[in-house]
Parts: sequence; structure tokens; C-alpha cells
Amino acid sequence: MALVRIEALHKHFGSNHVLRGIDLDIEEGQVIALIGRSGSGKSTLLRTINGLESFDDGSIEVDGEHIRPQGTDLRALRMKVGMIFQQFNLFPHLTAGQNVMLATRIVRKMGDDAARDLAKSMLLKVGLQEKFDAYPDQLSGGQQQRVAIARALAMQPRVLLCDEITSALDPELVNEVLAVVKNLAAEGMTLIMVTHEMRFAREVGDKLVFMYQGRIHESGDPQTLFANPQTPELAGFIGSIN
Amino acid sequence: MSDIELSDIVRNLLGGAAWTLGLSLTAFVLGGLAGLAVLFARIARNPLPRRLAQAYIEVFQGTPLLMQLFIIFFGSSLIGLEIPPWLAAALGLTLFTSAYLGEIWRGCVEAIPKGQWEASASLAMSHVEQMRHVILPQALRIAIAPTVGFSVQVVKGTAVTSIIGFVELTKTGSMLANATFQPFLVFGLVALGYFALCYPLSAYSRMLERKIHGSRAH
Repeated sequence: MALVRIEALHKHFGSNHVLRGIDLDIEEGQVIALIGRSGSGKSTLLRTINGLESFDDGSIEVDGEHIRPQGTDLRALRMKVGMIFQQFNLFPHLTAGQNVMLATRIVRKMGDDAARDLAKSMLLKVGLQEKFDAYPDQLSGGQQQRVAIARALAMQPRVLLCDEITSALDPELVNEVLAVVKNLAAEGMTLIMVTHEMRFAREVGDKLVFMYQGRIHESGDPQTLFANPQTPELAGFIGSIN
Repeated sequence: MSDIELSDIVRNLLGGAAWTLGLSLTAFVLGGLAGLAVLFARIARNPLPRRLAQAYIEVFQGTPLLMQLFIIFFGSSLIGLEIPPWLAAALGLTLFTSAYLGEIWRGCVEAIPKGQWEASASLAMSHVEQMRHVILPQALRIAIAPTVGFSVQVVKGTAVTSIIGFVELTKTGSMLANATFQPFLVFGLVALGYFALCYPLSAYSRMLERKIHGSRAH
């Protein structure tokens, strides 16, 4: 049974029909790379999976939590779905350690000591154990993004959504973030990534999903699709990236 | 009529200034508390409190403070409530202050980037938890300077209450001017009194602003 099941999903922004019937099953431990031009609906699709974006029709189910156009238990859903953003979105008034601890304390109701230990081990996992007491503005972009990953992981999500998480980084900082994500993938974390890092998508992705005009235009094994795109749109997209 | 000496004038004005200060503090503290309520109504997700707060703000920002005081002072006696000038003054200034502070603070809350809401929502935090732990601590930092800056307006606003007969600095001044026939001297001293109250506040506000612009966050 799929961990994430998306069926016949539709969404409009005003008169703009941005998602035109998306069906997608994601198995536990899979790494999904969502690619496509801007405006193809890939970020919108990602954001519906944790309820940041509503939708008009269809259904999403994540590990038994149903998301409906109306009336979803967002708290239960978001305990299972973590998200990392392009702009990191760390809380600037809190240290790295406090950023990681905050939601574990108030949402997961962990005690202070347990939350601190967990935060330390999460920061260790992303290679930033010595930055526990640093504020976000004392960290590089790559370090901030790794703290954001640690913060999401501390909630022990079943799925991690990554929304262009290296797009705001200087080129020399991209790899340190991708290395962390690669480790997560190797550990069996289920990842859904909107990304422009095609090499990474090819190497780490289990499934490539190419979106075009609000639909899944083509999807499958990344190696195969990159080598042999079936549609002119995907061929054109790959050509324009490289 | 110069049997009133300068020292008498100054002593009386200092007494009036104490009332001005007391009224300012009362209005600022109570207005701040009421302003918090206005803020929360103004940013509520339910549209009803939001609209009510907006109407409240528009009424108090869209009419002169003097009219608000007249309506409270004379309006209350019309409905049979005799309220003393100090109470009408305190009530009027409190309402006035709450409307402005509520709106200033709303601006500060809305200045917090959308990403902060999205990140905290994605961590399964409820609206109240987001406000309490993520949004308000950041909004508070940027609110300090404009809030202190607005307190200057409250101090100056108290002068208007002299018209409904509250004996603060301005009212004391006009009584002294009538008695001494030295309006220039007396009102010069009154102005000096307001300046002495307001200048430290505006200087402090400027200093806070520099400090916040100089260092980001924490």
C-alpha cells in the first residue's frame, strides 16, 4: 500500500487551472524528483501534500491521514509530513538548537532534556553539532538549510517534502546540502523533491515525475527517462536545462 | 497683577505636569492592553472580529480626539451618567491609544515574512502556537520603536483633555495665564514641560530604531 496516494487532484488559482487531475502513488522509502518548468504546478502539488495549499477536487492520503478539500486534521497530517523550503525559513530569533527543539517541545510535548538531546543528535546528523548555539544569521546559507533539515527530521516525519531546497544557495554550498539529502535517501527516508538539480535527480531519485501544464506528462525511472524521453516536451525540458 | 511669583507659576505647572504624566501612563498602559485585544481581533481568521476591529480602528483614527472626548464626556451625561473629567479623559485617551497601537502592531505582525508562518505550520504548530512562539517574538522586536514613538502622541494628546476641564499641564497653564496676564511666559513654560516629557521618548525611540536596524534578530 502506497505511503502517499494522490488521486484525481484538481486545483484552480482563480481562472487558472494549475493542477489538472494528478494521480501519483509514492511508496515508502522512495525518492521522487518532481521536475518541470516554472508554472507547471510542481511546487503547488508539493504544497498540497502537507496542506499549505488547498485543492478543489480529488484526494490525498498520507499514511492513513486523508486530506480533503474541506476539514482536514492538519495537525495529525503535519506530524507525518515534514517540509524544507527554498528560503530555509529558520526562526531568526532562536538559535539553531532552539529551532530544532521548538516544535518537538510544544507539538510533540517532549521534555526539555529529551528535546535537547534529540536536537543535538539531529544537528549531528547534518554535521552541525557545534552550531547548536549559533543564530541563523551567523550561519551560511548551506548551514541554515541543514539546520532546517534537522528541524524537520526532529519531528520524525514519514515523508519529507523538499521545495527547491538548493535554489537559493551559492553554487559552492549546494553540495553540502545535497550530501545530507543523499544520506537521508540512503537511510530509507521517503522524499518528494521539487528540484532543478538534474544530476542529483538522476543519481538519487527512484522515480522522476515530469510535470507539464498541470499534469504529470511523463514519469518513471530517472536513468531511462533522461536517456530516452518519450515526449518532445520532456526532451525539450532536458535540453534546456543542460 | 505680579504678586504671583515665577516660583509659584513653576510649582503649579509642575503639579499640572504630574497629572499629564499620570494620564499619559494610564492611557498608554490601558490602551496597550486594549490594543492587544484590537490586534488579535484584527488578525483573527474569523472575519467577524476582523471587521469589528477594523471599524473600531477607523472610527478612532478617522475622528478628532477632541470629538471623541466630547462624545464620551457630554454623551455620558446625556444618558444620565455623570462621569468626572479625569475619567472621561482617561477613557477617551485609552480608546484612542488602543486603536492606534492595535494598528501599529498589526503592521508589525504582517511584516513577518510568510515563510515563518509556513515553516511553523509545517511543523504542525497550531495558530496560537505559531503566534506565541514564532510570530509575536519577532513582531515585538520591530514594534518597540514605533510603539515608543507613538507614546509621544499620547503625551501630546493629553493636552486636548484640558477642554473638558481636566486640570493637567495645559489647563493649569491657561488658568495661570489668566491670573498673571503673562501668557507668553506661562505657555512658554508649558511648552517646555511637554518637550521635557516627549524629547526623551522620541530620542529613545530613535535609538531603538538604530539598534534594531543595526543588528538583525536575537
